[in-house]
This record gives sequence, structure tokens and C-alpha cells, in this order.
Amino acid sequence: MERAIERQRVLLEHLRPSSTSSSLENLDSSLSASVCAAGDSAAYQRSSVFGDDVVIVAAYRSPLCKSRRGGFKDTFPDDILAPVLKALIEKTNLNPAEVGDIVVGSVLGAGSQRASECRMAAFYAGFPETVPVRTVNRQCSSGLQAVADVAAAIKAGFYEIGIGAGLESMTVNPMAWEGSVNPKVKTMAQAQDCLLPMGITSENVAHRFSITRKEQDQAAVESHRKAAAATAAGKFKDEIIPIPTKIVDPKTGDEKPVTISVDDGIRPGTSLADLAKLKPVFKKDGSTTAGTSSQVSDGAGGVLLMKRSLALQKGLPILGVFRTFAAVGVPPSIMGIGPAVAIPAAVKAAGLQVEDIDLFEINEAFASQFLYCQKKLEIDPQKINVNGGAMAIGHPLGATGARCVATLLHEMKRRGRDCRFGVVSMCIGTGMGAAAVFERGDSCDELCNAK
Amino acid sequence: MPMFKTPFNGYSVKFSPFYEQRLAVATSQNFGILGNGRIHVIDLSPAGPIAEIAAYDTADGVYDVSWSESHDSLLIAAVADGSVKLYDLSLPPTSNPVRSLAEHTRETHSVDYNAVRRDSFLSSSWDDTIKLWTIDRPTSVRTFKEHAYCVYSAAWNPRHADVFASASGDCTARIWDVREPGSTMILPAHEFEILSCDWSKYDDAVIATSSVDKSIKVWDVRNYRIPVAVLNGHGYAVRKVKFSPHRASLIASCSYDMTVCLWDYMVEDSLIGRYDHHTEFAVGVDMSVLVEGLLASTGWDELVYVWQHGTDPRAP
Repeated sequence: MERAIERQRVLLEHLRPSSTSSSLENLDSSLSASVCAAGDSAAYQRSSVFGDDVVIVAAYRSPLCKSRRGGFKDTFPDDILAPVLKALIEKTNLNPAEVGDIVVGSVLGAGSQRASECRMAAFYAGFPETVPVRTVNRQCSSGLQAVADVAAAIKAGFYEIGIGAGLESMTVNPMAWEGSVNPKVKTMAQAQDCLLPMGITSENVAHRFSITRKEQDQAAVESHRKAAAATAAGKFKDEIIPIPTKIVDPKTGDEKPVTISVDDGIRPGTSLADLAKLKPVFKKDGSTTAGTSSQVSDGAGGVLLMKRSLALQKGLPILGVFRTFAAVGVPPSIMGIGPAVAIPAAVKAAGLQVEDIDLFEINEAFASQFLYCQKKLEIDPQKINVNGGAMAIGHPLGATGARCVATLLHEMKRRGRDCRFGVVSMCIGTGMGAAAVFERGDSCDELCNAK
Repeated sequence: MPMFKTPFNGYSVKFSPFYEQRLAVATSQNFGILGNGRIHVIDLSPAGPIAEIAAYDTADGVYDVSWSESHDSLLIAAVADGSVKLYDLSLPPTSNPVRSLAEHTRETHSVDYNAVRRDSFLSSSWDDTIKLWTIDRPTSVRTFKEHAYCVYSAAWNPRHADVFASASGDCTARIWDVREPGSTMILPAHEFEILSCDWSKYDDAVIATSSVDKSIKVWDVRNYRIPVAVLNGHGYAVRKVKFSPHRASLIASCSYDMTVCLWDYMVEDSLIGRYDHHTEFAVGVDMSVLVEGLLASTGWDELVYVWQHGTDPRAP
């Protein structure tokens, strides 16, 4: 051990700030040796890697655009998904025929039609007819559920390589209830609560757990600030796949080809004063405004998973290991508290404690529920949604899970080995929560007894 | 060109002087601070992924490798436990390493094979010494002990079989002639630790040194009071510096600022290329002798990149 400390000392000397001038001089102050936080407090100490770990080798997403007004207002849903699927195989040089299944989380699109669109998107992306496609719907966590389903199928041995994805065009499929509601719903409060507009559930959370309007506005300002900073710093460039599409001018009807490569919902200048002016949308004396709700958006995300042994064999970089997943139920009237229940469940299943998690992506469906979960789990705000959340970037329901996985893993990659465990979580309409735990791929090495 | 993922953190990469597609990579677990090491021998293929020809595990990190100039299958490695190990690719894995030379009392940091006489090699160590070895002897021929701190690099002169330079954390570079009892020249080249040095392949009196002070300096040893050129542009310590085998004034360097830079020290705007493909410290860089413009780099992001100068290393 002494030897290791001495080696660290010699190497640290190389990073000692020096007096000579350099354009990057100001970086010096940001560099210091830190104790490796990852795993130290964990009861969980893995000493070796396993070939049958399910790992993520690529995770990409489309930009997220405001529905009806944003970049994808004139784009077919399959045209958003196809380039993301294509990028997964192109950037990894994978033979698409090796993919065992493509699972797409999608919420609002009509069941069979959406399934057909996804199958067609796979063809557009260059997958052969031999690769099957299916959709999954667990409301807002559909994207994460898709990733979890693929991980589970790989674990079960159904196939070795799979894609978990998510797709939502809230332009094409706005939230709506079709047909009449079964009158029996009146006989059961919980069933009736499933029909509550999401905004009302947010008001319920804010009211019941005393989350003030000001706190919520502050959270939205932070979300926009972080997302704008991340965009300006080019952090999303690693995960965003530019989407070639068209924009139709609403007045003249002229079509213009464009390539969308940035999220268009982020407002860099958002201030508390601006948000304070907004009126509550869902309840007269409520506290949830358009500014403190997630944005209605269009977008897609995709995650390529395989066994670790296969990734090593193919020489693919391991972005992260899929550890555990949990979906839980909560009262439908306060569905936003889902992550506060789901995260401890998933973290416990991984043999960890919430304090062991280094980075969180918790979907900001509403500022109220986001703040509640943060407080309830006592998470350091510095660890959550470090590049902004759904209030700024957007929440295309079915795509959000896959989007969060891409954002989380790319941020973990940037942060290096200090950042060992990450969690993606979101609340789910009708009262549920889902969470998944990811680990860096390179936290531990194989055992070796070489001479 | 595809990249190659190593399980451990990259420390050094070297092109084979015999086969244009072959490289050796030195890697260490946990950033070389604690754990094992592994040497990879890899082959590029015109299309398709990089293939691993051989891999050798070591009990401690591997900080550097050097190909033999006399045998196409022979490889020497600088190991963090102080040993220098010889590997023969033509022998089965169980017979390797063919030799383990344990004399340095601390981490061996660099090895360099003599390209002129082709029978000897140097190792430099954190025990402040440089050792001269020949391929047929089980013990070192000589130990050069003058530096006052870690010797990070020792490099043979490409013209004179007996002359070499060394770079040390004692802030000096020294020029040695193995026929002389002590160093023939002491170059207080930088105010901070010197991490690497290399000779020009076209002018046998020109060397480059790289330092923690973020600069690279080019010196003419016949007139060493002022440097011929000072190359500024790296944001952190410059870990390795390497002269081009093809162009007299071309220099490659890699740095703790995670970039690989190319320089032409003869012109005013010396920095002619910057590659930021690594996402952790870039610690190993080499230029192919057999293919002009072919570069290789490795870093603590556990990736080895091989690319043609002017192209994107990340391009598939």
C-alpha cells in the first residue's frame, strides 16, 4: 500500500500547477486529488467481473423538441426513431443481423399502429427482416422498461444482443382518452384517481408534502440553467444523433429540409421573476404552472445491450453495466412520489444504499414531485440531473427512459471512476414508479495471478 | 482506423520496426498505482477490427515497452515492480517472459532498444538510475547513477551506438556516452520535472525534452545555453515527446491535458495539429517508421488509437 501511495505522489507531482503561461492555466485550480468516493462506503465490493453481466455499449438519443411548435412538428414518429437505431449499429460497427430483439417503449401512439411504425423504423435504420421488434408500455417509464426488458431477456439467454429504445411524438399523438369511461369507476376511489390529470396529482403532492411555489420555481430555473450550460458546453453532443427532417411553414406551406441536432425546449435566460408571473394551470389556488411541469415534446432514444463477454470479444467500449431494475406501485392520486419508493427498491436489490449512488437522473415530471423525491431520499442536489431535466429538456413520455439512460451513462463516462453507480428513475401516471441502477463498466478488473 | 480497448489503463504504445501493422501496448491496472499489468501485441487489418496477437500478464503495472531492433518477435517491457522483462512472440505463452531482469529497486519507467548496434537496451527507473543491458547477459552491463530523482526516460541516439539521453524529475536532461565514466553533458532544460526526451532522427545533435512546465523544448547539444525552440500549447504536463522518423522538424507529443499534439519546431506557428480523442490523460504516443504519417496513442481511458495524421482518430 505504501508503494501505491508513493506512486500516486510521484504522478500527482506531474500535475502540480506551474508558473509558465498557458492558455489553459485557469484549469489548474479545478484539479486536485480526491479520495475515490466510489464503492468506499458500499457494503458492495465486487472484486471481479463476470462475462454474463449485461452491459451497455452504446446509448444515443434524438434531440428533444417541443411538440407542435418544435423541430419535429412535421416529422413522422418513425423518422425520429430510425436514425437513433441506425446510429447504434453504425457507431459500434455491429452487424444489425446479430441483434436479437428491438424493444421500443411508447406510450401515446396507438398500440398496433405504433408497433408497425417501430418495425418500419427498424427497416429504415437498416435492420434486416430477421430482427424482431416489439413495443412496451409502462407509461412514462416505457423507455426504461424497454431497456430493463432487454437486459432481462439477455440474462435469460433468449438472445445475446438487444436494443431497448423509446419513442414518442406528442405532436402526432396528444394525450387523450378515447371512448367512454366505465361507470363502475365511481365505486372505487383508486380507480377513479387513475383518471386524474397529471397536473392535479402534482398539486396533490405539493399540497400534501408542503412543497412551496417558490421552491418549485427555483427547481425549474435550475433545470433550465443546467441544461443550457450542458448544451453550451457541448455535453450532449456525445449522446445526440442529429435527425434530418423537414419543417413546414404554417403560413405558406413551404417545406424546408433541416437537420435537428439540439434540444429546442431549453430557455437559458429563465429567471425566478419570469416563472413567478405564470398562473397555476391545473388548480386555481395551486402551485403547478407550465414552467414547473415537464415540457410536452417529441423525441426518441436507444440503448444497445449485450453480454460483457461479447462486448469484450468485439472490442466494444463498455459504457455501463445494467445492475437492477424495480417498478413499484404508489397511490394514483400522488403518482409523483414513485421514485421515492422505486429508487430504494432498485438500490437495495443491487446491494447498495442510496448514499452509494454517485449520480441520479430523476425525471422532472413536475417540480413538486421531483423536489419531494429529492427531499425524501435526502439526495445531494449536486448529484441529481446535473445536466438539467424534463422541465427544460422535455418529456416525450415513452422516450424519456432511454433518453435518461443515455444522458446518465455519458455523464458517468465524463466523470470518470469517481462516479461508479448511477440511477435512472421516474414516476409513472396511475401511480407507479420505476428505477434502474447502472454501474460503470470499468470499476473492477479480472483477477490475475501473473508472475 | 478502428480503436482497441484495453482492460487496463494504457501507458505506452510502440509500432513494430519490422511489421507495419503491428503494435505493442503497455497497460496497467488502476492507473498504474496498484494491481496488475498487461502487454498487448495487436495487428491492424485493412478492414475490420484490430486483432490481438498476444497478451502477457504481469504481477505489477507495465509502464513502457520497446521492440527489439534485431529480432522481429522480441519485446522488452518496463514493469512497475522494478523488473525489465523480455518476451518472445514466437514462443508459447507458458515460456514467456523469456527473461525477467530484476535489478532496479523501484519502478522501471522506460525501456529503449539500441537501433544502431541492435544488441543492447536501456532501462530507466524511479530509483534514479539508468541501466544498460545486452540481450545475452543475465545482469546489467552498467548502471548510470547521477540523477537525483526519478529517471522517466532514456533514449538512444539514432546515429551513435554509444550515446544516449536521459530525462529526469530532477529537472535535468543528461547526455551520456557509454564509453565515458560519467555523463558528458548536464542540461538544466526545465524548471520543473522533465518527463521525456527524444533525439531528432535527422540531426544527431538535436534533442527534445518535455516537462511538467507544459512545454516542449528543442535543444542543440552543441550549443545548449538556449533552446532552439520552445513549444507551448499543452495545458498540463507533457508526458511524452517523439521525433518523426520521416520529417526532420516534426514532433509528436501527448499530455496530461488529454491531447496529442503535432509540432513543426522550425516554423513560427509550431503547433500544426491537435487531437483530443482521449478522454483521460494521454500518456503514450508513437509514430510509425514504416508508414509515413501513421500515429498511435494510448491513455488512461483504456483505448489505443491508430490513425493517419490529418484524419480523425475516432473515425471508424
